[in-house]
Amino acid sequence: MPSVGTLAFDEFGRPVLILRGQESKKRLFGIEAHKSHILAGKAVADTLKTSLGPRGMDKCMVSPDGDITITNDGATILSMMHVENEIGKLLVQLSKSQDDEIGDGTTGVVVLAGALLEQAEALLDKGIHPIRIADGYELAAKVALDHLDKIAESYPLDLKNLDPLVNTAMTTLGSKIINRCQRQMAEIAVNAIMNVVDMERRDVNFELIKVQGKVGGRLEDTMLVKGVVVDKTFAHPQMPKEVRNAKIAILTCPFEPPKPKTKHKLDITNVEDYKKLREYEKEKFTEMIKSIKDAGANLVICQWGFDDEANHLLLSQELPAVRWVGGPEIELIAIATGGRIVPRFQELTADKLGFAGHVYELDFGTTSEHMLCIEQCKKSNTCTIFVRGGNKMVVEEAKRALHDALCVVRNLVRDNRIVYGGGACEISCAIEVAKEANKIATIEQYAIRAFADALESVPLALAENSGYSPIKTVADVKSAQIAQNNPSLGIDCLNTGTNDMKSQLVIETLIGKRQQISLATQLVRMILKIDDIRLPGESEE
Amino acid sequence: MQPMIIILKDGTDSSQGKSQVLSNISACQAVTEAIRTTLGPRGMDKLIVDGRGKATISNDGATILKLLEIIHPAARTLVDIAKSQDAEVGDGTTSVVLLTGEILKNARTFIEDGMHPTIIIRAIRKATALATKKVKEIAVHIKMDNIKEQRALLEKCARTTLSSKLIARQRDFFSKMVVDSVLMLDELLPLNMIGMKKVTGGSLEESRLVAGVAFKKTFSYAGFEMQQKKYLKPKIALLNIELELKAERDNAEIRLDNVAEYQKIVDAEWSILYNKLEKLHASGVNVVLSKLPIGDVATQYFADRDMFCAGRVQEDDLRRTQKACGGAIITTIENLDDKVQQVFGTCELFEETQIGSERYNFFTGCPKAKTATMILRGGADQFIDEVERSLHDAIMIVRRAVKNDSIVAGGGAIEMALSRTLRDFSRTIPGKEQLIIAAYAKAFEVIPRQLCENAGFDATNILNKLRQKHAENNIWFGVDIMNEDVTDNFIAAVWEPAVVKINAITAASEAACLILSVDETIKVPKSSAEPSNAAKAMNMV
Repeated sequence: MPSVGTLAFDEFGRPVLILRGQESKKRLFGIEAHKSHILAGKAVADTLKTSLGPRGMDKCMVSPDGDITITNDGATILSMMHVENEIGKLLVQLSKSQDDEIGDGTTGVVVLAGALLEQAEALLDKGIHPIRIADGYELAAKVALDHLDKIAESYPLDLKNLDPLVNTAMTTLGSKIINRCQRQMAEIAVNAIMNVVDMERRDVNFELIKVQGKVGGRLEDTMLVKGVVVDKTFAHPQMPKEVRNAKIAILTCPFEPPKPKTKHKLDITNVEDYKKLREYEKEKFTEMIKSIKDAGANLVICQWGFDDEANHLLLSQELPAVRWVGGPEIELIAIATGGRIVPRFQELTADKLGFAGHVYELDFGTTSEHMLCIEQCKKSNTCTIFVRGGNKMVVEEAKRALHDALCVVRNLVRDNRIVYGGGACEISCAIEVAKEANKIATIEQYAIRAFADALESVPLALAENSGYSPIKTVADVKSAQIAQNNPSLGIDCLNTGTNDMKSQLVIETLIGKRQQISLATQLVRMILKIDDIRLPGESEE
Repeated sequence: MQPMIIILKDGTDSSQGKSQVLSNISACQAVTEAIRTTLGPRGMDKLIVDGRGKATISNDGATILKLLEIIHPAARTLVDIAKSQDAEVGDGTTSVVLLTGEILKNARTFIEDGMHPTIIIRAIRKATALATKKVKEIAVHIKMDNIKEQRALLEKCARTTLSSKLIARQRDFFSKMVVDSVLMLDELLPLNMIGMKKVTGGSLEESRLVAGVAFKKTFSYAGFEMQQKKYLKPKIALLNIELELKAERDNAEIRLDNVAEYQKIVDAEWSILYNKLEKLHASGVNVVLSKLPIGDVATQYFADRDMFCAGRVQEDDLRRTQKACGGAIITTIENLDDKVQQVFGTCELFEETQIGSERYNFFTGCPKAKTATMILRGGADQFIDEVERSLHDAIMIVRRAVKNDSIVAGGGAIEMALSRTLRDFSRTIPGKEQLIIAAYAKAFEVIPRQLCENAGFDATNILNKLRQKHAENNIWFGVDIMNEDVTDNFIAAVWEPAVVKINAITAASEAACLILSVDETIKVPKSSAEPSNAAKAMNMV
C-alpha cells in the first residue's frame, strides 16, 4: 500500500490528518520507488546513447524562444532538455559536474550511470538489498580505478613536439561535427594552451583564452590569434584601419564632461550661462584629449561611449579610438598589452599605457562587418580562437567542441597519464572487475559482476553507433584483449582495419576516465539509497 | 431535557478521553513509520520534494521530519524532539523518534486496558532515571591525556556516525577530515568556525580541508584579473565600507546655478572615494575585503597598486576571516594610522586557486583564532547537500566526544544492555509498574530490531542471539551488519559518545510522557481563513 505511514485512523475510523495536504501528496515507497528511479535514469541515458563516439549523432534542441541548438555534447543536451524528473535532474547535474571538472566525457558518464542503474534493476529483482548493490559497485569501482592506474601510460609532454597532444585533442574532436578539420582544430587548441600554459604550476588559466565566433566563411578559416579579438570597430569611419606600434590608453571613464552621481539640477537662466556651459564642455573634451596625447598614446580603448562631438575631436587630433568595449574584454586587452586600466583622465600617465605591435580591423567577405584584432602584444600569453562557420549552429557547436578539446589538453598538462579510448579501457576494466568478482565471498559478488557488465555499455554503444553488430564486436574485442593481454584494443569505429587504439591514436586522459567512473558510481549509490519519494500534489489553484 | 450550553466557538473540534490518547499514539506511530527505514548503515534515504519543487535527499531524521510538514499537534512533538536532539548533540535524531514511537506503542496496550496514564508516566520516569544511570555506569572512559588515543577515539565516533550516511564508503577519509577540523579549533569548539563550501564536480575524495578560511571569488569588475593573486604574509583590511563612486545621499538633490561649481562637485565626489582609497593604500594593506560592493574604479585603483580586493563578501565569511586573521571590521577609514595597527589582520599565505569551475580565495596559516574550512566535492547539488548534513552530524559528535570522554558501543549494543537491566529491575517491583517498566525495557529493543530489518536480516533471530549474549553479561554485543550476526561492537569500534544516548533516552521518554498525559485536544477553527476569503471576494469585486 503506497500510502502507509501518511494516513492513520482513530478508533471511529476517521482519518487523522498528520501532514499538510496529505491527500494530494504523492508518495512512492520501497521497490516501486527504486523501479521508478531506474526507469527515469535509463530514459535519460538512452537519449544520450546515440551521441557517443565518432559515429554518434547530434541532437537538435529547440528552446521555448525558438532558438535552435545542434550538438552532441552530453552536458549541453541535458541542460537544454529541461528534465523535470528528480532523478533525471541528478543525471543532468552529473554530466554538468563532469563538464566543470574535466570538460570532456560528459556523454560517457551518463551512459555509464544509466547502465549501472539498469544492472541494478536486475539485481533488485533477485532480491538483493539496494545498499549491498551500491557497496558492491563501490568495491568494483575501486578495482576498476586501480586497474586504470595500472594500464595508464605516461605521455611525453614536450613543448617542442606537440604531436602527441594534438592526437589527444583529435580524439575528443573526433565525435564532433567539426571533425572535417579535426587536425586543424586540434592544433589550434594545443597551440592556444601552449600559449598560456604555466608549466611550473602545471596550470592553465582559461580566462586567458577567448573563443570568439562569427558566422560566415568556412570552418577551415578558423584561426588562432595571439592577442585579442574584439567585436568592435574604430569609432569613426575615417580613422585609420591599422595602427602599428600602438600605445593604448585603456579607459573606463566616459568620454564626456564628468557628471556628479548625486542627483543634480543645473539651472540655466540666461544665455550667457548657457554659453558658459558649452565652453565648459568643450574645454573638458580638449582637456581629456590633451591628457591622452600628453601621455603619448596613439590608440584609445574606452569602456563607455562618446558622443559625436568627442568622436570628431578625436579624429581631428588623429587619435584612433574604440568605444563600448565590454568589461571582460577591457581586462583581456589590459592583461595582453601590459597596460593599466585607467578610471580617470587625471591618472593617465605614460607608464600606464599598453603596447601592441599591430592593431587592425578584420574584414569579412562582402559584409560590412569588421572586427578589431590586437596582435603582437607585450605579454603574448593571451590568445583568441576565432571560429568561422557556415551558420550560427555550426559556429556554436564548434565553440563547444573547441572548449572540450582545450579542456582535454589542459588535463594532459596537469596529469600526463593517458588511457586508450574507443572503449578499450572500459573493456579492459570490465575484464579485470569480472575477474575480481569471483574472489568475493559475499553477495556483493553479483553487484561487482553487474558493474563489469555496465562498463561494457560504453563500447557496446560505440559499436552500435558505428553500425556494427554490438554484441559480436565487443565479444571479439574482449576475447582479443584476453588472448593478447593487450589493454589498448578497442572498437574500430572508423573502420580503419585495426582494433589497436594505440596505432589509431585514440587517446583519452586518465583523470577524465577516473572521474567518469567515480562520479557515476557515487551518483548511482545515492539513487539506490532512496527508498521513499514524497512529491507535493498538484497545486490546488 | 437539559438545554444545550455552547461554551466553545462554533466549529471547534474537541476530542477527549481515552480515545484521544490512543489517536495521538497512532499519529505518532505513523510519523515514526515514515523515518523508520533510515536507521543504520543499511538505512535508506528519502527524497522529498517541497511545494516549490526543491528536492532534498536525506537520511537525517530531523531534516526529513522538518520537510514533511507535519500538522498533527501530537505528532509535532516528535518533530520537536528530533530538532532538539539535533541542536543538542547533532546526531541520533532518527533513533530518538523511533524510541518515542516504540515507548508509546508499548504503552498503548496499557491505556487500552484502562490503566491511568499518570501511573504509566510515573513508571516511565523511574525507568528513564534508571536507564541514564546505567548508561553512565557502564560507559567506558577513555583517557584523553594521550593525544594519539584521543584521536583514535574521535575518529571511531565519527566513523560510526558516518557509517549510516551516503558517504559510508568514504568514512575513513571523512572521519579523519572531521576530526582534523575539530581539533584545529580552540577550546570552545565554536561550530561556526568550521566553514563548509560546496563545489559541484569532482569526486568525493577530492574534498579537502583547509586550515584557514576559504571562500568563493566574489563578483568582480574589470581590472580584477590584473591584480596579484598570491601574497605572502599580507596585511588584510576588512571593511564595511562601500568603495564605489555613487551618490552619497540617495534622495539628495543639488542645485547649481553656476557652471564653475559643476566641476567642484564632480571633484568632491571623486575625492570622497579617492580619500578612502588613498588612506587604504597608504596604510600598506595588501588585501582588501569588504562586505559592501567595491566598484570598478576602486578595483582598478587597487590593481594599479598591486593590491587585491574582493567586494560583497558574505558576512559569515568575513567574520570568520576576521576571527582567523585578527583585525577588526572597519566601518570608517579614519584613524588608520600606524599606532593602531591592530585593525589589520594577517596570515601566512593568501592565494586564489581554481577548484572545479569555481575560483576560491584561500587564507591559510592564520595566527589568531583557529578555524577550518571544508571544501566538499561531489557529482550533484543534492549529493553535496547530504554530505554536508552528514558531516555536520559527525562534527557535532566529535565536538561532544572531545568534551565528554565517555563512550558506549553502538549498533544496538547499549540498547540491549539497558533493556536487560530494566527487565531485571522490573521483576523486583511488585505492582503495576512492573509491567510498564518491562514494556519500556522492551521498547529499547526497537533499535537493534530496526537495524536488522533495514538490512534485511531475520530480526527475531538476531535479537534472540543478542538477548542470550547479554544475559551472559556480554554487555557490548550488538548487531553486526556486515556479517548478519552479533558481535562485540566495542571491539568492532562502533562507538558513540554516552551523552548522545543519555540525551536521546531522556528526550524520548519526556516526549512519550507528554503525549500520554494529553487527554484532550481543543482545536480552534482557523479564524483567519474567513476574513481572507472575504478579502479575496472584495478584491474580486
